Amino acid sequence: MAQRRELIKGSIDSLLLCLIEQQPMYGYLIIKELERRSQGYFRFKEGTLYPALHRLEEAGLIRGEWQALPNGRQRRYYHITGKGLRRLVAERSQWQDFLVAMNLIIQPASDYGEVKKW
Amino acid sequence: MVTALNHYLDSIRENLRLDRSVESEVIHELETHIEDELQELKEAGLSEEEATNTCLTLLGSAKLLARQIYEAHSQGSWTQALLAAMPHVLFGLLFAVRWWRGVGWLLGALVLVLGMAVYGWWRGKPAWLFPWLGYSLLPVAAAGLLLLYLPKGWSWVAIVIYLPLALWLLYSITVKTIRRDWLYTSLMLLPVPTIIGWFVAVEPINRLPEHWLQRIEHFAPWIGLTFLALGLTVATFIRLRKRWLRVSVLVVSGLLTLTMVAYYTEGRLSLPALLVLVVVMLLLLLSPALVERTLRHTG
Repeated sequence: MAQRRELIKGSIDSLLLCLIEQQPMYGYLIIKELERRSQGYFRFKEGTLYPALHRLEEAGLIRGEWQALPNGRQRRYYHITGKGLRRLVAERSQWQDFLVAMNLIIQPASDYGEVKKW
Repeated sequence: MVTALNHYLDSIRENLRLDRSVESEVIHELETHIEDELQELKEAGLSEEEATNTCLTLLGSAKLLARQIYEAHSQGSWTQALLAAMPHVLFGLLFAVRWWRGVGWLLGALVLVLGMAVYGWWRGKPAWLFPWLGYSLLPVAAAGLLLLYLPKGWSWVAIVIYLPLALWLLYSITVKTIRRDWLYTSLMLLPVPTIIGWFVAVEPINRLPEHWLQRIEHFAPWIGLTFLALGLTVATFIRLRKRWLRVSVLVVSGLLTLTMVAYYTEGRLSLPALLVLVVVMLLLLLSPALVERTLRHTG
């Protein structure tokens, strides 16, 4: 559990940027959407989400804007900025390299034998 | 919204210590979040009380959440750091390059300090304002010092006019600053122990003011250096995010500058005097936290 928390902690910014890039969202929606898309793997607490959103906003990677919902209630939607998009492109590429490298190491020993023979 | 959640939001508000505009945005955002959370929990079949308790559990500690949001916003830009360090640098330069005896330079500095303090005060009290505000109160203290040199029989001027006015001004500015964030009061008071230190070390007892000026002239480069060190401290303070680091940097800088005063004046500041100054410095820098607590309890 602690390991998973550490993994999530290190990837919060990328996850948020990725999600907000696809569609502007507000805090509560982000929590629900992350949980739904990851099939329950990512369960963000408010104490994790809001400081991260405000940190990204301070860094100029996202921009918060109050918008009215169809029912008239106001919600603070976060939009990705140009700087945020550039950061996301860089982070996506880093993640892909990381995942490829991880797969090469983590794959079972038999696969490794086959790779060596080949 | 139920009372427990209102208490929770009040606790967040108390611990945020951010600009009023940012604070109200954060609170409103959390309110809307709680609204959504409660609605979903109630739709899932929970009672009002159960939904509130679950919501509070999900939100976690109010102090921790407030602290983390504070840390997301607290770091000032390099421009703000430079702006905050400027009054110390200016004060240091007045001595380091010996401008302090030129009336024109002194008047220019005074106008700049007062102008920046008034401008910052009306622009929502940003973090860079407080060092300027501290120096803008110096003329008040200097006027008090000059009253000591009034002819005998004139002390009633100090009692009747100066003291109530000066105390009222200091009190109202300090209280307003503490309500914003007690750490900014410490930032405002930061040069006071150093100024007292230099005053005690340089002031010859029962001597003419002219002799006193000569002594300042002698120590001017070192006086300048200690204020440049304060400028560096303030810039670091503005760039730090964590409160405990901000407190530490102020205290360490207070100790360092007092040690510099003792070192450069070669024993004119005795060890007991230095220790008393260290206590005064700690009181000045840390007591605003206690005052803030008292102000909160008294509403």
